[in-house]
Amino acid sequence: MNGVHDLGGMHGLGPIDIEQDEPVFHHEWERRVFGMFLPVFATGAFNIDEFRHAIERMGPKYLATSYYEHWLAAFETLLVEKGVISADEFAARRVALAGGMN
Amino acid sequence: MSANHNRPLSDVEIRVKALESLLVEKGLVDPAAVDALIDTYEHKVGPRNGAHVVAKAWMDPAYKARLLADGTAAIAELGYSGIQGEDMVVIESTPETHNVIVCTLCSCYPWPTLGLPPVWFKSAPYRSRVVSDPRGVLKEFGLELPEKMQVRVWDSTAELRYMVLPERPAGTEGMTEEQLAALVTRDSMIGVARVAVPGQEGART
Amino acid sequence: MAINAEQALAATKVGATARVDAAVLPRFTPGTRVRTLNLNPPGHIRLPRYIRDKEGVIERDHGVFVFPDTHAAGLGEKPQHVYVVRFSARELWGPQGGAKDELLVDVWEDYLEPG
Repeated sequence: MNGVHDLGGMHGLGPIDIEQDEPVFHHEWERRVFGMFLPVFATGAFNIDEFRHAIERMGPKYLATSYYEHWLAAFETLLVEKGVISADEFAARRVALAGGMN
Repeated sequence: MSANHNRPLSDVEIRVKALESLLVEKGLVDPAAVDALIDTYEHKVGPRNGAHVVAKAWMDPAYKARLLADGTAAIAELGYSGIQGEDMVVIESTPETHNVIVCTLCSCYPWPTLGLPPVWFKSAPYRSRVVSDPRGVLKEFGLELPEKMQVRVWDSTAELRYMVLPERPAGTEGMTEEQLAALVTRDSMIGVARVAVPGQEGART
Repeated sequence: MAINAEQALAATKVGATARVDAAVLPRFTPGTRVRTLNLNPPGHIRLPRYIRDKEGVIERDHGVFVFPDTHAAGLGEKPQHVYVVRFSARELWGPQGGAKDELLVDVWEDYLEPG
């Protein structure tokens, strides 16, 4: 697909932000998303190319979000599409977690 | 690094917790496996592995020949195999040709030898521009190449994973493999830097 | 069922290669001039826009791999050769390309025709 992920040769996306002594992860949630990668694949619910395509289907949000958010978005999309979790139970869990912390 | 429990969770934190908790409850994800994977890639796998490969290639011409002919097998000799390094290609930079690696479509990167990629490697500015203006991008990393030198940009769009075998710097003839490995940076194996000897011209500031 | 920590770490050491052990003959050999096709499908494709409909040279043959376009769509592995194709920077970027510089891109055989 001629998606926003296909970046080679584009102009105007800004300077390269080089972080000295960069940590492997910047947030705890990034650790959890990374750590789920292999276990989620091991369920066999989808393959690596479906995963890549799910990232490419993010649309304009792709450019405004980080690498591990791309992974998260692909997990959400595919796990619901493949029926591993339902959109309703995922939404309900998010509401519970948001409410529980306020 | 633990979350401050007085602060509301961000949207992304809520989504991650929601997903992980549902998958754990369904018996599909074991949180101990998640913990073990995080620990491995945060603390055990990283660019020191690649530096070992480079230093050995500099010391041992027969190893270097094997590395350039079949990167996967030669890297496996040192024990750095596995996920996102299943099929490896090693590209040698020379005084005539400088090589640099990118993945314009996503952010493919050789995990067993270099660890997880830095943010800039995954970022839109690097991926968009290094293919069309490699010399300009290298300048942003402090590497200015002479006009007479050729630049080759390798875009890893498929399932091969690439790393650069950088040039061995002058003045390192008497060094041991361990001393050489200590000079080799992650950036030199991506190709956005050269390997320099501390105190000599060309060292990264 | 969920993999445990030990199984997860063992899996990282093995990985999951996309290389296919299939006897598929290559259509091109190193040194051959090729042209990339002008393809714009709505599904997954690994031919970046900046190398579509461009002339290059086969630099090396990586062997046989799963074809992601079909694999992503649930249409099977369609194993085929992947090549490094070498393009001059001028071919891709015109006068903005460096005179001596080159791009080397991994390209599946289905994206190529003779140059």
